[in-house]
Amino acid sequence: MRKKIRRSGHIYQTFIYLGKLFRMFIFQNDWKVLPMAAIIAGLVSFVVGKNVFVNQEGTLTGTFALTCVCIWNGFFNSIQVICRERPIVKREHRSGLHITSYIAAHMIYQAFLCIGQTVITIGICTLADVSFPDKSMLFPFALADFGVTIFLITYSADMMALMVSAVVHSTTTAMTIMPFLLIFQLVFSGGFFSLSGTALQLTDITISKWGLTALCIQGDYNSLPMVSLWNSMVKMKDVEVEGEKPVFEVLNYIETTGRRDEILAESGRQNQNLAYEYSPFNLLKCWMFLIFFALLYAVIATVSLESIDKDKR
Amino acid sequence: MQETFSLVIIIVQLIFWALYSAGLMALFVKCGVKPLWALVPLGREYHLGLCAYKENDARTYAKLSIAAYLFNVAYLLVDHDTIWYDILAIAYITLRMAAVIYMVRITIGLCEIFNRKKSWAWMWFFFKTITVLIWGFGKTFVPSKKVPKIQKGVETYGINADATDDGLTVNITSRTIIDLFKKKYLLKDIHLTIPKGHMVLLLGGSGAGKTTFLNAVTGYEKADAEILLDRHNIYEEYENLKFDVGFVPQQDLMRSNDTVYLTLRDAASLRLPSNVSFLKKRKRVNEVLEEFGLGAIRNSLVEKLSGGQRKRLSIAMEFISDPSLFILDEPDSGLDGVVARGLFEKLRSIADSGKIVIVITHTPDRVIDLFDDVIVLAKDSSRCGRLAFYGSVNDSYQFFGKDSMEDILLSINQKEEGGEGLADEFIGKYAQTQQASREVG
Repeated sequence: MRKKIRRSGHIYQTFIYLGKLFRMFIFQNDWKVLPMAAIIAGLVSFVVGKNVFVNQEGTLTGTFALTCVCIWNGFFNSIQVICRERPIVKREHRSGLHITSYIAAHMIYQAFLCIGQTVITIGICTLADVSFPDKSMLFPFALADFGVTIFLITYSADMMALMVSAVVHSTTTAMTIMPFLLIFQLVFSGGFFSLSGTALQLTDITISKWGLTALCIQGDYNSLPMVSLWNSMVKMKDVEVEGEKPVFEVLNYIETTGRRDEILAESGRQNQNLAYEYSPFNLLKCWMFLIFFALLYAVIATVSLESIDKDKR
Repeated sequence: MQETFSLVIIIVQLIFWALYSAGLMALFVKCGVKPLWALVPLGREYHLGLCAYKENDARTYAKLSIAAYLFNVAYLLVDHDTIWYDILAIAYITLRMAAVIYMVRITIGLCEIFNRKKSWAWMWFFFKTITVLIWGFGKTFVPSKKVPKIQKGVETYGINADATDDGLTVNITSRTIIDLFKKKYLLKDIHLTIPKGHMVLLLGGSGAGKTTFLNAVTGYEKADAEILLDRHNIYEEYENLKFDVGFVPQQDLMRSNDTVYLTLRDAASLRLPSNVSFLKKRKRVNEVLEEFGLGAIRNSLVEKLSGGQRKRLSIAMEFISDPSLFILDEPDSGLDGVVARGLFEKLRSIADSGKIVIVITHTPDRVIDLFDDVIVLAKDSSRCGRLAFYGSVNDSYQFFGKDSMEDILLSINQKEEGGEGLADEFIGKYAQTQQASREVG
């Protein structure tokens, strides 16, 4: 029996691959995900930015759109990164590559990308006059809390895409699966579409649900006014009942007595959602779920890639 | 009334099933498949695929059908009011749709084999019972080729090669896989010893098991075998010995956005022992760069390299750890004659430095003078890879009665591949030669 010779360890290999990934960032156009994030954030904040964190409807729409942006960014960061170089990984695994190091390098590199995208998204939203929440919950600055949420949504989606990229064998398959995952995340976000029964339970496994919830908690959704009822009533103000306009009269009374804001606030109170309750514990719970998902996806990616030697030639 | 109606439906279904099975049995007889398969659910579709020469599609169809069947069972078991009922229904429909596509591919394949218009696929799709009866019992419906019968293969003597202190000893009893519930032999009875300093050509037709053989030798895909490198068992000491075996794949599997130097430096970091200092690693990288003529392009991106340069870099990546056994899968693919010759001369010099070099190439005759020995693998009548010859290049010409490697390859290739179909004969002849030499020895 030959004496065992020590080869490069896990940490050393992680740094080797980190170097490769950063070279890819420069030379293989991976940097393009950053300007892409700016364009998407710009578009979304232009369309839905005005009413975010102003009233309940605007907050729900805006945070849902922001969650979608983060998931989209995360997916595009890593959906192809492993499957496009799978034969190379197979060869390197044969030469002593530790899959854990390979995935760890990707996790660190993707975290770098996600931090970049978070900063860009928040910067663009600020430029578009989105009024961010000013009360901090866990960090000294409210924007730091907000940044962590945006980062965790993006990173969790990124790890999900990394998992898909590790499981599938070709970029075509990865790009076919991605829209399904995206639609699943959008439909089962739990906040935007009304779901019930098992469908509602399914929301617990989506990144979008915990991301959306975290953003709504930070925006203090339950304390915001609700305007949709008022707007509907305004549309119905000319409806006549037995020759009179009761809706108009009610609206007129509220306006003349200066109780409009009170009514809107009361309307919001009646529409409160327990999940969006403004508490650091609730926010931390959402973050924990997002971190748990990210780690789970990374573990699945590693386990799946460990069997790369079985790939057909 | 309702019960009578249900009974009639069941009887009609049974009649259709019996008619379809009967037609399929007749069709299977025509195609050379055991007719009883027509009575086995899923197995009959798989064998219909074999008749159409669409084995892969048939295998996928069978898998999809099994999955659809399982989803169907689950669908019947879950509560109708839950979302799972809908999810399972969607999954079942999706799988059935995919299965239908694969069945259409199979029926189009059948049309080709029976020399019929592809429009018959519509008949198969909409009226499969009547169509299978027509095809099964119609005398004008004759397949252009039958499903090849898997025979027992050639008996050999399985004599183990004696282990050598200074070289590679290969004793492969068998290499099998389980393929759709069947045990399939990929390799059987390959015994040989390669001394150090030899450059060996691995010759064999398509599907003869060349890459399987190499993977078994390197320990990458373990076989029922004993592989010794200088008396060290590769399988038992795989983690240690895998760095003593360099395997250069057919494709140039390198990251195109890295420079030549960084590619080689990272390869050195992976392959060299951790106690080798950074300076020594750098020195080794520089030595290998010069040895493979890559020094001048060390800062070029891999994507900018020519085919020959890429191949040299790919070889250098494995050479960096100074392996004793060096295996190359078609290193000359895509290279012109002059570049290929230069590459093989480099491999010859590696062998001359005391290493074992095993090479697969599809154009061996242009560089045959550089090889010492040749291993000839052939697919026997049971479709299993067997050793048809191992010895010097000149002996191989004598053994096969041919004067080029391409002619040897033609003689062992199956007739349907355009060869002479003499594989079994040579496998048996070589086994007898080995037996005789052992008895004399």
